[in-house]
Amino acid sequence: MNFLTIFARNLKQGPQTEAFPLGPAFTPERLRGRIEFKAESCEGCRICERVCPANAIRFAKTPDGMTFDCWHNTCVFCGNCEFYCPTDAIHQTNDWDLSHANADKFDMVEHGLIPNQKCADCGATALNTAPMVKNAKPPLSAEEYTELRARCPKCRAKYLKNRKVPA
Amino acid sequence: MGLIPDFKKIATRSPWIYRINAGSCNGCDVEMATTALIPRYDIERLGCQYCGSPKHADIVLISGPLTVRVKDAVLRMYEEIPDPKVTVAVGVCPISGGIFRESYAVLAPIDQYIPIDVNVPGCPPRPQAIIAGVARAIDIWRERL
Ligand code: SF4
Ligand code: SF4
Ligand code: SF4
Repeated sequence: MNFLTIFARNLKQGPQTEAFPLGPAFTPERLRGRIEFKAESCEGCRICERVCPANAIRFAKTPDGMTFDCWHNTCVFCGNCEFYCPTDAIHQTNDWDLSHANADKFDMVEHGLIPNQKCADCGATALNTAPMVKNAKPPLSAEEYTELRARCPKCRAKYLKNRKVPA
Repeated sequence: MGLIPDFKKIATRSPWIYRINAGSCNGCDVEMATTALIPRYDIERLGCQYCGSPKHADIVLISGPLTVRVKDAVLRMYEEIPDPKVTVAVGVCPISGGIFRESYAVLAPIDQYIPIDVNVPGCPPRPQAIIAGVARAIDIWRERL
């Protein structure tokens, strides 16, 4: 009798085999996959480069600014970079389908550029990084943020110091 | 003469897979075993089957960063596989060395010694990713036949 119930259940449920590759693959929401980088929200602290166990992340100074490169072919999807990133600049997507022909080996790179800018106050050339204002009290308004962002690190410090805090 | 294309057609249906462990941590090997050996992923739907001898293989999956110690054995094994063969590097180890990169004990990347056709990055790649890589390898293999 018992095997009949199992047989009926199996008939009802169908095979346990996953549809992939003949159909879509089941992908958990939080699967640790390909790294994604958003240059706009990067503070340029380079913590991610430091904590990466596989040395997959490399920052480099170029005439245009600072470049970010993450080579998916040595990244081990550990998630350290996302964990330690103070902003949401680096993010692990759940994209796992990274197989590629060997000729494209060195194209499997996530590239980003933090461009240079001229400081709005002193005119010095500095990186247009996202300002570190997590602990600013009260939180900056959108205008203040844009103004702060347009400055070099020294002028940013000055700006924050001279900021009028409403009582 | 007319028979030969038909033979090719039949033969291309079932590439046999062989697995070489070039000093892997076993993570990738477990995933490779998973792709084939359990019904949940069932790589045999692609006509593939794991085989125990390099002489029967068509597609070879290599894992591990090619440690100095296994190098000769791996190269000898690779030589035994008849042409046309397609090589798939599974995991970041054979592709770049992964976390073992620049160690004195590993010779990665493996494509310095063995021609690699398909890379499947991940540490380890999930079974679906390996199946995707094998599917890619089958396409290449069909062209080569
Ligand atoms: S991505 Fe995050 S951790 Fe890396 S430099 Fe930018 S802000 Fe810092
Ligand atoms: S997930 Fe891990 S290995 Fe990949 S880039 Fe981030 S820190 Fe490096
Ligand atoms: S890629 Fe990762 S899981 Fe695979 S053999 Fe290398 S270290 Fe192990």
